[in-house]
Amino acid sequence: MESTLLSAVLVGLVGVFCMLDSRLLGRLNFEQPLIGATLVGLVLGDVQTGLAVGAATELVSMGLVQVGAAVPPDMVLGGIVAAAFACLTGASAETAMTIAIPVAVLGQLLGIVFRSIIVFLGHLADDAIEKGNFKVAYRMHIVWGTVLYSLMYFLPIFVAVYVGTDVVQAVVNMIPDWVTNGLNVASKILTAYGLALLLTMMINKGMTVFLILGFALASYLGLSVTAVSIFAVVLALILMSLKYGDGSGAAMASAGGADPDYDPLEDDDED
Amino acid sequence: MAENKIQSVSKNKKIWQFFWRSWAIQDSWNYERQMNMGFLYGLVPTLDRCYPNENDPEQLEKKKEAYRRHMAFYNCTPQTSAFVLGLSASMEEQYAENTASLNPDSINAMKTSLMGPLSGIGDSFFQGTIRVIAFGLGVSLAQQGSLLGPVLAMVISIIPSVLITWFAAKLGYEGGNAYLQKLQSGNMMDKVMYVCGIVGLMAVGGMVATLIGATTPATFSDGTLVIQDILDSIMPQMIPLALTGAMYALIKKGVKTGWLLVICIVGGIILSSLGILA
Repeated sequence: MESTLLSAVLVGLVGVFCMLDSRLLGRLNFEQPLIGATLVGLVLGDVQTGLAVGAATELVSMGLVQVGAAVPPDMVLGGIVAAAFACLTGASAETAMTIAIPVAVLGQLLGIVFRSIIVFLGHLADDAIEKGNFKVAYRMHIVWGTVLYSLMYFLPIFVAVYVGTDVVQAVVNMIPDWVTNGLNVASKILTAYGLALLLTMMINKGMTVFLILGFALASYLGLSVTAVSIFAVVLALILMSLKYGDGSGAAMASAGGADPDYDPLEDDDED
Repeated sequence: MAENKIQSVSKNKKIWQFFWRSWAIQDSWNYERQMNMGFLYGLVPTLDRCYPNENDPEQLEKKKEAYRRHMAFYNCTPQTSAFVLGLSASMEEQYAENTASLNPDSINAMKTSLMGPLSGIGDSFFQGTIRVIAFGLGVSLAQQGSLLGPVLAMVISIIPSVLITWFAAKLGYEGGNAYLQKLQSGNMMDKVMYVCGIVGLMAVGGMVATLIGATTPATFSDGTLVIQDILDSIMPQMIPLALTGAMYALIKKGVKTGWLLVICIVGGIILSSLGILA
């Protein structure tokens, strides 16, 4: 039981580190399921499991981005808790995914509660400014904001890992094969969902061809995502200079600019 | 006009302050005014230097006014916020030196007008492009069990973040207005969005083909005709493409996130039990 307590604290601290990435480090992306789950694997001594759960949860969360006030299901919290369960109980990455999702929804709700509580800090800061207590005002941000956001991750992770491991272990042992196989397929569909969600934010009119090009390069030619990205950067830079008239394009445009009626395709019939 | 001596400090130190404090801007993100306290926190060193003497009632009033000013609603990508912090700080200093030189309302007006474009460009660059590529690569390596995956993902994420924040802070403080006009006239924003759009979409296309990996174990009657082989001869990774398309259609139809997750899990178990997908 002591080791469970220690594990719960360690995993909780991993969660705090990930959360503070977006709070204090401008979201350098430590707050991503892949990183959180891998760190959990490191502190619990099972890196491979952490990586596997991290990769699976990361794929689902690809499309989940906090835009404005809408808080998506918190797959970072889900990934951290799921990785802890997988490491502590020996469950597979697919099984862990089913733990990740309810935890992510719970995290979403907690996120809403905490972000509402912080509204009050804002009003306390307003009052402090009126009284000339400037330090009190900005400490609402840098001290109390940090504390509240840390608790928002530490508490649920600690409780889930400390109390939940035995329960989850028992449930995992009862899962029949058809469920395990089904969850394996489900994790693939979830990945498709994550990518589709990403696409809803990215596809603009006339840009779908690039999606198809990227897919075709990888599926027919067997290129890796790295290779596709490199081709994409080169292609995008070429197209940009054509579209916006940089470089040689600009030279041509300015040559044409000397005579506003100049049209290289125009026939010289009237001469 | 009251004499107002601004405490001086080296320019580099100021830029580093904007740098770190723009990264900390989400520390008290809330529903009401979002990053308001974060923005104030970013300007605290500047404001404290502008109004150092709290015993002077006039300065104290000015200081309160300035603090109140920056408690207004603010929301923008942290990295590009460094630009807004730098520009606001230079405007606050100008106003503190000579109150007639600037209408303080114009500071918040500038902030409000920059939030939209800078978070649009910042989010599509950091969240839409860098994150997608970094973690697309990271996941494909992690799936092979390599610790290099998360490490590489972080390296790709951190480098542009550091560079952009630092230059944004520097440009914003040293003459934000001039750069801003240049940026807008040269349709720089459109260019960045266009390039990010192409790279992001192609990377996602590659991920659809490499990361999902769903196949069908189904065969025709006597087991001699494997459906997966037929599909592969037409287009490899056709099933992942179809799954992504189907999920895209469901999202576009406005099906709620919770239901979609249920559909994924229940659908996966059913399709697997029927021997359609593996």
